[in-house]
Amino acid sequence: MSTINFSAREINFKIVYYGPGLSGKTTNLKQIYSNVPGESKGEMVSLATEDERTLFFDFLPLDLGSVNGFKTRFHLYTVPGQVFYNSSRKLILRGVDGVVFIADSAPNRLRANAESLRSLRENLQEYNLSLDDVPLTIQINKRDMPDALPVEMIRQVLDPQQKYPVFEAVAQEFQGVFEPLRAVSKLVLEKLAQKA
Amino acid sequence: MLEPSLELYGETFEKVDALLKELLAKSHARYAMIIDLKGFVLMHSRAVWAPKPPSLDSFATLIASNYSANTAIAKLFGETGFQEMVQQGAEVGTYLEELGEEALLVTVFDSSAALGRVKLFTKNAAQAIKVLLETSQGEAPDVTFDQEWSESTGALLDTLFGNEKS
Repeated sequence: MSTINFSAREINFKIVYYGPGLSGKTTNLKQIYSNVPGESKGEMVSLATEDERTLFFDFLPLDLGSVNGFKTRFHLYTVPGQVFYNSSRKLILRGVDGVVFIADSAPNRLRANAESLRSLRENLQEYNLSLDDVPLTIQINKRDMPDALPVEMIRQVLDPQQKYPVFEAVAQEFQGVFEPLRAVSKLVLEKLAQKA
Repeated sequence: MLEPSLELYGETFEKVDALLKELLAKSHARYAMIIDLKGFVLMHSRAVWAPKPPSLDSFATLIASNYSANTAIAKLFGETGFQEMVQQGAEVGTYLEELGEEALLVTVFDSSAALGRVKLFTKNAAQAIKVLLETSQGEAPDVTFDQEWSESTGALLDTLFGNEKS
């Protein structure tokens, strides 16, 4: 649910990067941080283990600018991808406005992609939300892998009805990083405007 | 859906702002903040003598997440939550009070403030704020986020992230 702060004249949105472990969620946030101009971003916070796996979340605030006297702000989060961190994933989804799902192109991660999307559905249910309530885009990452599965095969598993915008990416090289974020942000803004 | 986490506008905002300043004066704490459980800063106040605070966005996010994690821990043991939410370092500490189900009052203090006073005045302020919020009569400012707003904001997105490839 978007949050309006009348005193600060701000509208705040929460975007969560979700997906299986090692799919590239933190890499996406790091690339966004590196490629967004300084005045549009705040500090990036990473709560990671010693081997740089996300333990709780990564966080990056972005300022879009002002329209009609209200500043529009996006708070970007990643969840920990490893299966046993589900409690943390659930906490991070509180108040989510949009989701970027990061899928891994590796053949041995197809099941992990599907299970992660299932866990997203289940965790949203905890907040009485479904994937029909929350704008979602899919980034299929690591397209530079020699054995990367065809996009259509991955999409068939994750989005057989072709309901969600899908983007190919090599996040490590900053390819296809902004596109799914911009798309989900626009969907979030449109959803708010429709309700108004 | 778009709504404030708390009804903090108009006269209520002014009164809550005064309560935060009073809390700082009486407890000798550095900062007092109201944040929602999604991690957004709703209001903040800083003592005149206090150094510049760290990033409020980061701070609010970490406090809200920490609170959620602690509540989850309490639930593992059959509790609804922990009654005391205080953290103390060698120099700086934080103390939390719930403001209903959606927000927290956070007081940040240093070694010049007595923890007992911080707790007492934070509890008092939280109670007074809750009463104010429950009895708030003010109408929310009328703002419309229509298609034109959506398009203008979308244009800002294009400025930040580059135009979509056609």
